[in-house]
Amino acid sequence: MSVLTKQAPGAAASLAAGPPGRRKRGTARRRNQRSGYLFLLPWFLGMLFTIIPFFASLYLAFTDYNLFTEPNFVGLANFQAMTEDPRLWQSLKVTFIYTFVSVPISLAVALLIALVLNRGLQGLAIYRSVYYLPSLLGGSVAIVMLWRYIFGNEGIVNSFLGLFGIAGPAWVTDPDFSLSTLIVLNVWTFGSPMVIFLAGLRQVPTMYYEAASIDGASRWRQFRNITIPLISPIIFFNLIMQLIGSFQTFTQGYVMSGGTGGPADSTLFYNLYLYQKGFTEFEMGYASAMAWLLLMIIAIFTAINFIASKFWVFYDN
Amino acid sequence: MALLESPPTSATKPGKPSKQPKQADPEDALTGTRSTRFSRHLILCLVGLVMMYPLLWLISSSFKPSNDIFRQLGLWPDNWDFSNYAEGWTALNQPFHVYLINSMIVVVFSIIGNIFSCALAAYAFARMEFTGRKLFFALMLGTLMLPGHVLLVPQYIIFSQLGWLDTYLPLIVPNFMATNAFFIFLMVQFMKALPRELDDAAQIDGCGPFRTFLRVILPLCVPAMATTAIFTFISTWNEFFGPLLYIQNQDLYTVPLALRAFMDSEGQSMWGPMFAMSVVSIAPIIGFFIAGQKYLINGIATTGLK
Amino acid sequence: MKKTATTGFSRRIFLGAAVTAAGLGLSGCAGGGSPAAGGNVELNFVYWGDSNRAKMTDAAIKVFEEKNPGITVKSEYQDSGPYADKLATRFAGGNPPDVLAMANRSLLEYAQRGTLADLKGLPELNLEKIPATVQSRGEVDGKLYGLATGVTTIGMVVNKTITDQAGVTIPDDKTWSWEDYAKFATEVTQKTGGKVYGAGYDVSTETGPILLARQRGEDFYTEDNKLGVSEDTIREWFQYSVDLRNAGGYPPAGFFEQIGGSPAQSYLAKGTVASQIIPINNFRGYNEAVQGDVVLLRMPGETTDKRRGYSADPTMLWSIAAKSKHPKEAAKLLDFLTNDADGAAETLTQRGVPINPDVAESITSKLSADDTTFVNMMAAIQEDDLPPAYVYPKGASVVADTLKQLATEVEFGRITPADAAKTFLEKSNAAINK
Repeated sequence: MSVLTKQAPGAAASLAAGPPGRRKRGTARRRNQRSGYLFLLPWFLGMLFTIIPFFASLYLAFTDYNLFTEPNFVGLANFQAMTEDPRLWQSLKVTFIYTFVSVPISLAVALLIALVLNRGLQGLAIYRSVYYLPSLLGGSVAIVMLWRYIFGNEGIVNSFLGLFGIAGPAWVTDPDFSLSTLIVLNVWTFGSPMVIFLAGLRQVPTMYYEAASIDGASRWRQFRNITIPLISPIIFFNLIMQLIGSFQTFTQGYVMSGGTGGPADSTLFYNLYLYQKGFTEFEMGYASAMAWLLLMIIAIFTAINFIASKFWVFYDN
Repeated sequence: MALLESPPTSATKPGKPSKQPKQADPEDALTGTRSTRFSRHLILCLVGLVMMYPLLWLISSSFKPSNDIFRQLGLWPDNWDFSNYAEGWTALNQPFHVYLINSMIVVVFSIIGNIFSCALAAYAFARMEFTGRKLFFALMLGTLMLPGHVLLVPQYIIFSQLGWLDTYLPLIVPNFMATNAFFIFLMVQFMKALPRELDDAAQIDGCGPFRTFLRVILPLCVPAMATTAIFTFISTWNEFFGPLLYIQNQDLYTVPLALRAFMDSEGQSMWGPMFAMSVVSIAPIIGFFIAGQKYLINGIATTGLK
Repeated sequence: MKKTATTGFSRRIFLGAAVTAAGLGLSGCAGGGSPAAGGNVELNFVYWGDSNRAKMTDAAIKVFEEKNPGITVKSEYQDSGPYADKLATRFAGGNPPDVLAMANRSLLEYAQRGTLADLKGLPELNLEKIPATVQSRGEVDGKLYGLATGVTTIGMVVNKTITDQAGVTIPDDKTWSWEDYAKFATEVTQKTGGKVYGAGYDVSTETGPILLARQRGEDFYTEDNKLGVSEDTIREWFQYSVDLRNAGGYPPAGFFEQIGGSPAQSYLAKGTVASQIIPINNFRGYNEAVQGDVVLLRMPGETTDKRRGYSADPTMLWSIAAKSKHPKEAAKLLDFLTNDADGAAETLTQRGVPINPDVAESITSKLSADDTTFVNMMAAIQEDDLPPAYVYPKGASVVADTLKQLATEVEFGRITPADAAKTFLEKSNAAINK
């Protein structure tokens, strides 16, 4: 506390020195190996629960593990079988469509709403809570029933369309519409990225805007030149996490289709199929191989993003 | 932590005249004409209604007799049935508050564990230089990318070998060991957004890395920690699979397990009581969010650095 | 996990975990379940169901504990989906329950991997009174891995309030054919002005085609655990629903949003369909949910085709884990669940009609009117000479999922019944013969 107040003026002064960006500074980096490891100590201990299972699954990917008997090493057989599995390809297709449609939309909506909710407006606390509601409710059975009834034949969506004389489709049961319904549903729960954006927006030091206002910069320019660069690490975080989360979508598909990925495999997410393989068909070796394929896919997209981030994400170092 | 009680920003008390110092908001609260402000509220309210609908439906269903829930879809119950709450509260092995308390225990420890362990790890990743940092960081992100279902059995075996089955330890202890990469990454991003000058100044002031972390960085990360707390609350409170696998004693069940006990998807289900108890179980999350969002928005970077 | 435990894989994990844990001084924190007090055996007993079923089961367990001092039963229940996941994980983790409920579909997945005990090898379990036709449903290679918790079958329920209002007479279910049913259903739709569809049965659950196959002289699942149903029967099953839909007796594509599910959610309860196929042990639930006049009928086609399609099917099965540390006591519990009239007095027909005829007889006076209807129909069906039925093979879950998937494709006209039947046989055979 006292440290902070003492340091604050100096820090503020240097902050005010100019717009954010990548600046080179000659300050000495802490090269304290030991304290680095000390800070990571809990994480190292946690490897017991994360890294051991992680590499166990890598080993299992090369076996015929069926949950109940000794796994036998089978080399690349699982990966070979995957290339000839039509349901696997279907699940990849479903997952890619879902990811590439819903991630950009939900991020844009979340950022937009966060910006609106970040300004001074009466009743903001209430709006924030209300907008976060759908994300709070989680995937309990009651909520699952709810979604089905919202998009059901007599649900509120079709009743609303009916007011305009439109006969809505069977949103959940028609294979041509079921995936779009899940995408809409996902966008609806933009609460989590919104909350993170809100927290990020609050870390933007005010003086930049004040300085910009004095310079007569328009709102759009302030947004482009101050807000976006300063919260770019947060945008980046949300992008990566939404991407990872979306590739790993399970609950939405599981609850809407009762675990089958139906109707007619139209919501067979990759993770849902993996789960079926592992826990319904007891082919855990195959499921592990699938898991590592997904890991590689996600890792590639994440790596691309990390590389691209060098051009648009600004850290203060 | 006196900093947390810093004066409210204009976001929470917008009506105050402009004596208030300016805030992070790019626009002044009082700009715009009356009519544009009115239309802004109108749009926000309309969207808000759509967002509210699930909760309203849930509450309304909890006052309907079980047989009406799927037949009468309107928001206003035709027949009011208040017995669902009393029935649901006592229908299971234990009165429902036992499950609420159980969940609360797991949630409180998970929040504490997550905040501390993830902040420590994040500080190391964000601010320190040591051999293997990049590799560890990649490994940490890697654990996020592997579908959890293939980890269940190995994890179950580990917890079983530790003798932790049928206790809350498998649900709580990993949180103290920074096993949640999501929150580490989140805090890394927040810490990276903080000006380096803060660390440097603290160092000149004679602070070691731990004091710098505790006195300078942590207070500035309150929004990130509030986010972590809120997300941990929600995900732990709603978590089904972990408790399902590790808890066998029904007296130790958490809320999601208890809710599911009202249901038998192949036979009859007690829908009314289940909806009633769902409403009860959502109340703490909403309460926590409303309480926690204060810290989410009172970012110290904006108020403390003036 | 001792030597009883699992695989080399888990031992390897254990090694790593144990070393790490010891190094961190963690192993001391073990909380563990409290071991049973001196000389007392604690059995872990798991099943699926809801809290209503649990209440009845708990009452029966109390009776068992009174009759068997020294044995405590620690029971646990879940809804069927999570139950299956937890069961698989517990077996994989070397920590299986002692006595457990098993689905027909999953029995051989577990049994043929050596995880379940041969019940015939447990002298505490008396099988004297159990009919061979019931035992055969848990038997493979002469070993008994699952014993029916009770028996049930499928039947047709009709909402008589609707048909009476529409002025449609319900045909005699002792002799009706599938054509009669189609005619009846179409008439209901017509006479209610399309407000109610006459037929609303579920095309995608395998119990329907299993019965149809038997009527046509085929075994859906054969004695040697293969798929025995012909492509023609499956095509016929799909084609029938398509024709009925075209005639108006069956709702249009996309109408059914919730397949299976509880009676309260059913379309019969909503009053949008007049008839439905149900497992008849759920009759009471449907009659209560409809709050009206629901009649229980036999399935169509029972007397008009090659042979009877009916069989007395296990509602679910009881099994004992091969690695149970207390097989003796577990067998005692299973014997109690099967042969004890006092226990059955608490659970009644919660899991189907008791398989010991004496026990079944003993509870008849305690049943509600609706449950009596169910038990009487079950008894009447078994009076006739029914062809034998066999245990579900490994891969039966894939067969069930495949049927579901193809039923939707047919429903939305994305595939013809003939192609669907062909695909069904290909995929199902691949899964079973794997």
